[in-house]
Amino acid sequence: MQRRTHLTILASLMLSAGFAFAADTIKIGVSGPFTGGSSSMGVSMRDGVRLATEEINKAGGVLGKKLELVERDDEAKNERGVQIAQELINKEQVVANMGYINTGVALASQRFYQEAKIPVFNNVATGSAITQQFKAPEYPDNYIFRNAANDSIQAPMIVEEAIGRRGFKKVAILADSTNYGQLGKADLEKALEANGVKAVAVEKFNIKDVDMTPQLLKAKEAGAEVILTYAIGPELAQIANGMTKLGWKVPMIGSWTLSMANFIDNAGPGGEGARMPQTFIQEPNTVKRKAFIDAYLKTFKPKNNRMDSPVSAAQGYDSVYLLVAAIKQAGSTDGVKIREALENLDAKVEGVVTTYDKPYTHDDHEAITKNIPVFGEVKGAKVVYAYEEDRLKGSDIRTKVKAKPAAAPAAGAKDKPKDKADKN
Amino acid sequence: MEILLQLVYSGIALGMIYAVIAFGYQLTFATSDTLNFGQGEALMLGALVALTLVDRLGMNYWLAIPLVGAFGLVQGVLVERIGVSPAIKIKSEFGWIMSTIALGIIFKNVAENIWGRDDMRFPSPLPEAPIKLLGANVLPMELLVIAGAVLMMLAVEFFNRKTIYGKAVVATFNDRDAAKLMGINTGLVITFSYALSSLTAGFAGMLIAPLTLTGATMGAVLGLKAFAVAIIGGLNSGMGIIVGGIILGVAETTTGFYLSTGYKDVSGLVLLLLVLAVKPAGLFGKSAIKKV
Repeated sequence: MQRRTHLTILASLMLSAGFAFAADTIKIGVSGPFTGGSSSMGVSMRDGVRLATEEINKAGGVLGKKLELVERDDEAKNERGVQIAQELINKEQVVANMGYINTGVALASQRFYQEAKIPVFNNVATGSAITQQFKAPEYPDNYIFRNAANDSIQAPMIVEEAIGRRGFKKVAILADSTNYGQLGKADLEKALEANGVKAVAVEKFNIKDVDMTPQLLKAKEAGAEVILTYAIGPELAQIANGMTKLGWKVPMIGSWTLSMANFIDNAGPGGEGARMPQTFIQEPNTVKRKAFIDAYLKTFKPKNNRMDSPVSAAQGYDSVYLLVAAIKQAGSTDGVKIREALENLDAKVEGVVTTYDKPYTHDDHEAITKNIPVFGEVKGAKVVYAYEEDRLKGSDIRTKVKAKPAAAPAAGAKDKPKDKADKN
Repeated sequence: MEILLQLVYSGIALGMIYAVIAFGYQLTFATSDTLNFGQGEALMLGALVALTLVDRLGMNYWLAIPLVGAFGLVQGVLVERIGVSPAIKIKSEFGWIMSTIALGIIFKNVAENIWGRDDMRFPSPLPEAPIKLLGANVLPMELLVIAGAVLMMLAVEFFNRKTIYGKAVVATFNDRDAAKLMGINTGLVITFSYALSSLTAGFAGMLIAPLTLTGATMGAVLGLKAFAVAIIGGLNSGMGIIVGGIILGVAETTTGFYLSTGYKDVSGLVLLLLVLAVKPAGLFGKSAIKKV
């Protein structure tokens, strides 16, 4: 429906404007899975993007033009992602692309943007390889940016939580057989090794599996005290349900997907207590966050006033503001200029995840560093702060820790290397 | 020992999930030598209709069963009339294969548009706490699925052996032309068998939905595994379906545990190949000599 109206608008525009494609709006592509198993992430991201766009347009747009979103459902399929990328670049002529939820789709599709010199904001996909695909020596410029906590941040966090903070000695890893699960499993094993621990059981399952008994029994027999997961909502729920069935309950700690609505809803009571790294928790502890959460709930009316995937929504929302700041600074919608502006952003962008102060450099396209995410926990079918001290300090904005290029932390930036940041 | 018992329990429960779906294949094969490859989708439609009745409209689970059954009947008639009877009329050997697959895809897309593509939770009509049985755990819902499967087997066997309509069905399978000459309306019998097949699929969907998750894509994998069960057990034996289901289910859980969870699905399929090589009609199937 949405798509059709877009198309008709477009068609009438083309008819009236003839060949001269009068660009009185700035087109931004939005690609993600709006249907299927990862749709709670895709839809929340899209809604976050919509919200930010609406706010910006209300305030007069950017460079005197309004933003226009061109939304496409990639169905979490690599081949759809590739088609959409070509359509958005060649036909719609977008100036940037928001999205990619699924690591596989991102890796398959973003090369077209790289070739067309159009920036991509990966505001959900977490595969470590995403921002490395076109990195410096082989490629002079990288057009792939990320505003999400990548797996090489999450895996050590998960391990630190299980082994360091909660003192478990025997861990089992359960990961699905997709790229996401298996790459994440490798990251987890690496992080465990750094702590001198070897998982007592490493098990695999397929998407749509309905019985997790063998995997769980193996973990149980090996004496696992905790289960580390890398999978998506529905199968994670089957793990929780399987544990209920076996009458064996150990904590689940896993990648951030444990916060997905389709895990929480399908697992029911079995999902309570699951913990995962989160860059954003639906808790109105700053003025900006309160405004964002209120506006989101008012506009999209999610069930039980719970955002389906708060992290995706927040990262999507912030990404639009980052892009707009870059367009402003560049004074142009040219891809090369936007990229240059992003890599040297003068303005501080106050977002809901963090305050972005020079989030990117030419060689560093990750906006989120390991000190930013906190641990969330499923409690009462909602994701809340797992630790009281994190909740109390929730209003302190955690900002990016600047890496090696020691350009001296900019004045005023509150660097708060928290409890977790001092580890490894 | 306790581990093995738990694996066997879970395997049986899993196998019965496959078995209740596999009955649908059997019913149509029994009359017309054709199969509805959209069986998984019929199952999915049944589960989603049931979810709407139970979750949205607040209906009692048990009272919703006849409504889902009625829906299944209609859906089955539709499949037969659109997809299968034209192929049978022109005595096409393969036309029905593609048309039932096509209808399955259409049903899936329609369901995606109505119910979305997300997996949903189906509220369980029975308590969700596991019961301890001889030292291992089972869910009450799993027992219900097992009971449902056995009941369906008995019903099918009773229908075929004891009732006049069942005899008509068997006669139609044995020799369609002779049955026609004996005054059996074979066309109607075939339509009826499709209706019955979708009815069981809808019922199966309702039974298993609280254990699996409910969504437009739930049918694909389950439908395929059920087909394997039907082949292993034999396409014309009610008993075969039950035994085939248990074999496949237990094979999956035990290989998962003792070998590797990565090879979980392989054992069942190797078994399928073995059965096809040694006893092509299935473990309990009667191999009929086909006269040409």
